[in-house]
Amino acid sequence: MASTACFMIVSKNDIPIYEAEVGTVPKKEDAAHQHQFILHAALDIVQDTAWTTSAMFLKSIDRFNDLVVSVYVTAGHTRLMLLHDSRNDDGIKSFFQEVHELYIKTLLNPLYLPGSRVTSSHFDTKVRALARKYL
Amino acid sequence: MEGEVSESCVESLLAEIVLVVGHQFSERYTMDRPRFTDNLEAIKFICKDFWSELFKKQIDNLKTNHRGTFVLQDNRFRWLAHMSIDPSVQASGNIQDPSAMAENKSTQATGMHLYFPCGIIRRALSNLGIACAVSADISNLPACSFVIRIKA
Repeated sequence: MASTACFMIVSKNDIPIYEAEVGTVPKKEDAAHQHQFILHAALDIVQDTAWTTSAMFLKSIDRFNDLVVSVYVTAGHTRLMLLHDSRNDDGIKSFFQEVHELYIKTLLNPLYLPGSRVTSSHFDTKVRALARKYL
Repeated sequence: MEGEVSESCVESLLAEIVLVVGHQFSERYTMDRPRFTDNLEAIKFICKDFWSELFKKQIDNLKTNHRGTFVLQDNRFRWLAHMSIDPSVQASGNIQDPSAMAENKSTQATGMHLYFPCGIIRRALSNLGIACAVSADISNLPACSFVIRIKA
């Protein structure tokens, strides 16, 4: 059961600090660019929606063809954005919560400057494992 | 010779640490709770959860003028509770005799210890989306009050 999914973490100052293609579909170069474009375009909508609710998980806020953008916003306005074609809301919510915990662990690293790119391969491996598990 | 550290030096040294620590605290302690809808909610979070995580107690008194200024009063500020300070110190004494000057220096030194908590509060609030300035008032230790002025 192949699924496309592109995951991105955008910091408070609108700087992407982590990007990954976590779907099970084999990678196609132009599709990857398109996914990024769709996620970046959804940022404005996230801004508006984030202030209307106090929940962290804003379900699906935007669509493009058959791909859906779901977003999870932390209190510090770090946005975890996922572009996917599946409809598994609970799985996506759990995925976001686990990645949130991972992100906080990264933040607690004193050598990590908040707002800079996350370059740890360990973080990358874990995110991909979580994606396989929940998506 | 006493190793004098000037105030501006202290501020710049602490600025980097405060940036990271404030950010970490705000993300960590807001993890399990829903996000904040307005300024008052965020300040109340600072008074209760944030303060109890850092200082093991909640704020004793919160005052506001409803126009962007909040005064948080802590009657026994833990980080300064064991600092010895001459009880007869007047905050605005004249500097003519050397004994008064020594007392002003100790007040100044105590004041420098407050840069860190003020900075953390400011960074945590700015991470939650509220730009503000935080200052501390230690006219009667161990009670300490923090004044938060939200920039409109």
